[in-house]
Amino acid sequence: MQLKGVTFRHKVSSPEPFRPWKKRLGPGVFEVSLSLHKGEILGLVGPNGAGKTTLLRTISGILPIQSGQFIQGDVEQSQPLASTDLRGLVGHMPEQVRWQGQQTVHDALMELAEMRGATEKRVNNLLKLVGLSERHDTSLSGLSQGMRQRLTLAASLLGSPKYLMLDEPLNGLDPVAATAFVNLLHQLKEKGVSIVISSHQVEGLQAITDRIALMHRGQMLACGSIESIAKSLDLQTKINVSGEGPAPDLSWCETIDSKVEVDASTWSVQLLDDGTTTMEMFLEKGIGIKAWTPQHPGIVEMLCAATGMNIEEVGLDIASPSLLPHRRVGGEEE
Amino acid sequence: MNDRQRIFALARRVFNGRFRSTRMYIMLPILILFIPGMAWGFSDPDIILPGGHQPDSPMEVLFYASLGVVFGATMCAVLLAFDGVSKDRASGVFELRLAQPMPRHHQALALLFGTWQAIFVPVAVLIGLSVVLIRYRLGEWAAFGDVMVHLGATALILYWYVVFTLLASSRTKDQGTAIAFGIGMWFLFTFLWALVTTMVAYASGVAIGEQNDAQWVALEGAFDLLSPNGVYHHLLETRLVEIDRGISDWQSWSMAMVWTVLPTWWFIRRMDELQP
Repeated sequence: MQLKGVTFRHKVSSPEPFRPWKKRLGPGVFEVSLSLHKGEILGLVGPNGAGKTTLLRTISGILPIQSGQFIQGDVEQSQPLASTDLRGLVGHMPEQVRWQGQQTVHDALMELAEMRGATEKRVNNLLKLVGLSERHDTSLSGLSQGMRQRLTLAASLLGSPKYLMLDEPLNGLDPVAATAFVNLLHQLKEKGVSIVISSHQVEGLQAITDRIALMHRGQMLACGSIESIAKSLDLQTKINVSGEGPAPDLSWCETIDSKVEVDASTWSVQLLDDGTTTMEMFLEKGIGIKAWTPQHPGIVEMLCAATGMNIEEVGLDIASPSLLPHRRVGGEEE
Repeated sequence: MNDRQRIFALARRVFNGRFRSTRMYIMLPILILFIPGMAWGFSDPDIILPGGHQPDSPMEVLFYASLGVVFGATMCAVLLAFDGVSKDRASGVFELRLAQPMPRHHQALALLFGTWQAIFVPVAVLIGLSVVLIRYRLGEWAAFGDVMVHLGATALILYWYVVFTLLASSRTKDQGTAIAFGIGMWFLFTFLWALVTTMVAYASGVAIGEQNDAQWVALEGAFDLLSPNGVYHHLLETRLVEIDRGISDWQSWSMAMVWTVLPTWWFIRRMDELQP
């Protein structure tokens, strides 16, 4: 499936003295183009309010797009998809569904299954898959957060979707369940399901995704493999070097990226990766090395580089939606 | 499963959830007290109403006992439906529903029918019980046509309150606002409408509350068409020949259609546009 210039912006209240009901277009996703490949896991990364959830909802057919289109199939036989088509193709797992009430786990899932045309056998299999078959008759109010998350996952898998949108799927899962969940994602991937995951647990995400997409203020900044994005952002791999004894004189080293840290009887320093040249120089000068560890650029680093954010400066501040860089050519600034 | 079967299957699930809810167990004694209780009271052979009138036919007793529907059953409809959309929307379950390929207007219809059934089924049973009680007290069965009109009109008024409340529920995300909308609307039509009618009458120079004044009766009758409770009573009055408020049967039934179709259309449209 391909997204071509997909735009959805929420309507926000913008009252005026004589028009208190007036609304204007506010934050959302803006002209997002993206390809979802068969049997691939795509990680959606961005700061709070970047538009990740909105994008997942538009792909799932929940929010109607204002411009752009979804296309399925190859270029020659492509066909635009309507919202109802999308809902049939896509399984959607919202963030933190608070299941509650006296309804049983089985009945809650059956209700959604009937809306999708899935059978009771499928429901029972899914309950088994997510480890809730023992809780078949438990009321929704009796579920823990992790169990609710499993039930939501089961609901998103009803109807064997070709595309799976997961919004913060690991929230509330214990470590064992999270590992099992990742294994399940790999199984689905092998079956050809295209998976999009939005998660703030970026380090975990890095390990399971084939590609990542960086979002900021409703726009797609970069999309590709971690290596290609790092390269496009000019982020270099760094090398953590440490050794024993007194700190060596590294004034000759041109790739040094930090001060030499000394701690009791060990020293450590961070260098920029330049292949094997620096290592050869260390060996030539007879500097004893205890560890030589390459450190590839992380998603956080990429996000900061792509958005211009600085962790020390930004802290917990959330980007103001009023700063959305949406400007129409020749039109008013919104 | 075709579309219609799917709508009915979902409606059945909504019905089961609402009908077996704790609030239904709480409301049932209220419904029993208001519907068969009033039928029992108004069918007392010795009863004399404040105006000196004595109900002497089963339909008349059913008409007076309809106050139980207006005050009790409509309130229960509001209490049953006020979180029909808002609760699931706040919890995130609604987002899962919206993500299903079942068209949203089908989901809206299922929600309407399921919730309406949950309040109408117990009320219909209690109306049946009322008919038996009236037979026991007056020694006369209500005519089949009278019972059918009474049931039909009751089904409609409950439906109207369910639609209005679900519509209000779809506008809110928190339960407090949802119930305030529902109860506020019930209060407006059940209590404040008389005040609105009085104010309009006063402004029009009509003698207020004068039951023998044709102008007042006509104005009250016309104004009642703008309220669901008023239309309900107009529908019941189609079976009481001695009551004439200047509104013909076709006008009452037409307004009933309007009160049914317009809010339903509005709710379906709202559901089509609704975001999680």
